[in-house]
Amino acid sequence: MEAYRQEIIVGAVAVYMIFCVLTGLWAMKRTKNSSDFFIAGRSLGPIVVSLALFSSTLSGFGFVGGPGLVYSIGVSAFWMVVISSSGYALGFFLVAKRIRMIAELRNCISLPDIVAARYNSEAVRFLIAVTIVLGVMGYLATQILAMAVVMQAIMSGTVMFADIGLLACVVISSAVLIFYCVTGGIIASVYTDVVQGAIMMIAGCLILFTAMSVFDGGIQEATSIILADDTESMMPFGAAGIMASLGWFFVFGLGLAGQPHLVTKMMMNKNISDNRRILPMSLFGYIMAALLWISIGVIMRAAVIDGVVPALTLPDDAASVFLSFFTNPLLAGIVFAGLFAAIMSTSDAFLNIGTAAIIHDIPKAIRGHSIKNELFWARIVTVLLAIVAASFALYSHYKDATLVAILGAFGWATFAASIFPVLAIGLNWKGATAMGAITAIVAALLINFVVQLAGLVLPYGISGGLVSFVTSLVLFIGVSLITQRPELAADMEAVLDI
Amino acid sequence: MASKLIYLIFAIVVLMAGILIAIWLAEPVANSAGMAHPIIPGMQVGGDGGARLAHIGTLAFLFQSLLLLLIVCLSALGVAEHRRTTELAAYLGGTFLFSLLAWWQMYSGHQAYMESGSTGYFMGFPVATAWQVYGTWLGAIPLIVIYSLGFRKFIFTLEDEAKFDQLMARQAEQMEP
Repeated sequence: MEAYRQEIIVGAVAVYMIFCVLTGLWAMKRTKNSSDFFIAGRSLGPIVVSLALFSSTLSGFGFVGGPGLVYSIGVSAFWMVVISSSGYALGFFLVAKRIRMIAELRNCISLPDIVAARYNSEAVRFLIAVTIVLGVMGYLATQILAMAVVMQAIMSGTVMFADIGLLACVVISSAVLIFYCVTGGIIASVYTDVVQGAIMMIAGCLILFTAMSVFDGGIQEATSIILADDTESMMPFGAAGIMASLGWFFVFGLGLAGQPHLVTKMMMNKNISDNRRILPMSLFGYIMAALLWISIGVIMRAAVIDGVVPALTLPDDAASVFLSFFTNPLLAGIVFAGLFAAIMSTSDAFLNIGTAAIIHDIPKAIRGHSIKNELFWARIVTVLLAIVAASFALYSHYKDATLVAILGAFGWATFAASIFPVLAIGLNWKGATAMGAITAIVAALLINFVVQLAGLVLPYGISGGLVSFVTSLVLFIGVSLITQRPELAADMEAVLDI
Repeated sequence: MASKLIYLIFAIVVLMAGILIAIWLAEPVANSAGMAHPIIPGMQVGGDGGARLAHIGTLAFLFQSLLLLLIVCLSALGVAEHRRTTELAAYLGGTFLFSLLAWWQMYSGHQAYMESGSTGYFMGFPVATAWQVYGTWLGAIPLIVIYSLGFRKFIFTLEDEAKFDQLMARQAEQMEP
């Protein structure tokens, strides 16, 4: 079996991709209008929503960047993971019920629709839509590039595809992604998410058991090796220090309720009461999959320090080197399929919300109504958006990474800082005003842009994302308190009372 | 009392902003956010933990304690005002105290390790880190339990569901020609 390692891995990934294409074809028959395309007609059951929610949370970063970060900075990177229980809880306490109620009451199909209804403001809709489009471009470009790089790495190991280029890998992986997103919209996305989530959970669990067997003394021997090498890396604040760690706790924890691709999923369940089951199931799935993130990172750091494995060329190689050294080919195949699943489940969610922002929200904010024949244009824009993002990815790889890096700054932290106060607090406090929302969004975007463009390095590992998030919270509540309390529509008043 | 919750949340975030500024202005320490491993490329080390916390340790401890308080206050904000009962306050207060205990054990365990240079282990990790991994993860589990098991009591009661159905029915009537 070992002689066919690469072929088995390529086979596992190919089976997974064929499944995605077939799901797209099946979902096409169920997609009859733009509501089906963007929010699955609010018809999904609790298991589907749970798996879709957690698999969209854990992008390719969780399978590649996450283990690499643990390898590089030790326990500091754990803070992004251990906050998940608080993050999911806050997301459900603050957002899940009311976003679902408003979506049904006002027939909303996107997050900007929700905030426009809440604040009765097209300016807030426009700003949230623009934030989403900017963030989506950065996220999608990095996800597509990651997908292509991994595909090239595994295919070039086979005799048949030894010379395959990055461009061909971008085309193949993007084509599969585009196909099922265009044909089946969000219905295809969430049903592929179900399988993607299941693969990620299985991969996480199997990897944990494999990791525990690498050293005779299990995980404890690995952590002892790391601790003997450096007194801080295996202690609670890791190599990056206390403020970097606490900053991640803040931004990743509270910020989960401000991620548009996640909160949009909370609009899709059939019954509001299903939320009580969706929350624990999502968290369980996330923890299972995140075991991979922590265990690979710890074992690879210990293995390199101990001389079991040579030093990695790049920290992001941690997962692939672990798989080639310590797992059998079948498990490697499952994990690589899991990796593609993680990347695609996040990418399809971003494609969906980006398309909604472009064809539905920005025209509505500017002209007062969305474009005609939304379903047709949704499919066209999905293709165009993916092509533009893939072009960004290739340009970034071959020419200049600055543009994607800048767009990448509109990642998790910017979404958290600009959307969390407006959505999560705004849906639960009648005193929140449109002026407060606009101030918070603009401040969050400006701070993140300035920190990124100026390359500012703050003392003690304080991140720009943390500064922008705290600032936007202060401004949102402060400005809302000093501006006139808005007159809410009767139905919105009723929803905020429930 | 319940309507004052937003003022408490505002006070917490303002305090956190103040602490962040104080840390920003604190005396800088070399390599406070890590430095390159002396031998292995691509790997970072933390170095002298005591020096890194010398000027900001207490401030950072307060920052995280406020963040834990903010999490339970925001959870309370997510519950309709008329359902923020004493019972809910007791559950959320208990959650906060448990999270605070995990945070204190983690922080003081780290301090103790820096002083003694030795540590015990719990389920694979040094004790202070085990509090971080298991304590932080489990610290918010009471919130999940309150949400899931208390769903029909605090979050979306049968009465709430009926109100929402009435709201939808009224809207449907208005939409009819």
